[in-house]
Amino acid sequence: MAEAQAFETDFWKDAQSRKGWDDIVPGEPRKTIPYTLTSEAIALYCKSVGETHPLYFDEAYARATRYGGLIAPPSIHIMLMFACTPADDWMRSPGTVNAGQSWSYNVPARPGDVIRLEARALDKFIKRERLFVVHDNVFFNQAGEVICSGRGWTIRPV
Amino acid sequence: MTVTFEGLSAGDSIEGPSFAVSRESIRLFCDASLDYNPLHLDDDYMKGSFGKTQFGGVIMHGMNNFGLISRMITDWAYPAGAIHRRLETRWVKPVRPGDTIQPSGIIKSKQVTAKARWVVIDVIVRNQNEERVATGEAMVEFPA
Repeated sequence: MAEAQAFETDFWKDAQSRKGWDDIVPGEPRKTIPYTLTSEAIALYCKSVGETHPLYFDEAYARATRYGGLIAPPSIHIMLMFACTPADDWMRSPGTVNAGQSWSYNVPARPGDVIRLEARALDKFIKRERLFVVHDNVFFNQAGEVICSGRGWTIRPV
Repeated sequence: MTVTFEGLSAGDSIEGPSFAVSRESIRLFCDASLDYNPLHLDDDYMKGSFGKTQFGGVIMHGMNNFGLISRMITDWAYPAGAIHRRLETRWVKPVRPGDTIQPSGIIKSKQVTAKARWVVIDVIVRNQNEERVATGEAMVEFPA
């Protein structure tokens, strides 16, 4: 995957080009990048949380289920959030603290899916002297079906 | 024993997987999630202050909790032909290398809608000291 190979793991590198809390405009779309989900990325994610269900690994097993083939775990959106956004996205600002998230799941993501993200800041507020931003995200597959949608609450670095 | 919608009652519990947190598990989650925030990598950085918050050392990704809860819910739902439809979580306490965490769930309620049957589950992640590190709520859809 070209996108995966190009992924910048040094989150300091583009820190100056990212929006701070003051610059984030609720309602304004974030830049996103289509991403082709690979079996390798699914396997690595599964390994990191100990997922072993055959729906994610065993093609013959998965084909015989209601899903008709391999799928990714629902929580694969955790990596899709970073795979589908550019290096200057403010979600990568060092010190961004995740306070909580909520996600709804529709159709599963599958290996080979070309996944598209529509994302924006939905709200920002100050609470107990902390600077919060609420982000709002929807992932789609290549057929335009919603994979999942979710919101997250982050405390922004100062 | 396979779970059925009819057989479930409020108060029934679900036990999730125990998970040992280490620098290696956190680093693996960085690679798997593509979240390389220095909160999870850089001890020197984490000695600093984050506005109103001090952590004192690297912490596990909050979304690692989320992934473990999700694993618990799907492993419970799949054998019943049920579908994990929603998960809402809040992080209550940082998780650090050396901690062992475990998600669990308690059936909160059941509801039948026009086209489906739903189970609402309170979820919680505790550390080895029985402290709550994450709480939340999940929804699972059972076939009508």
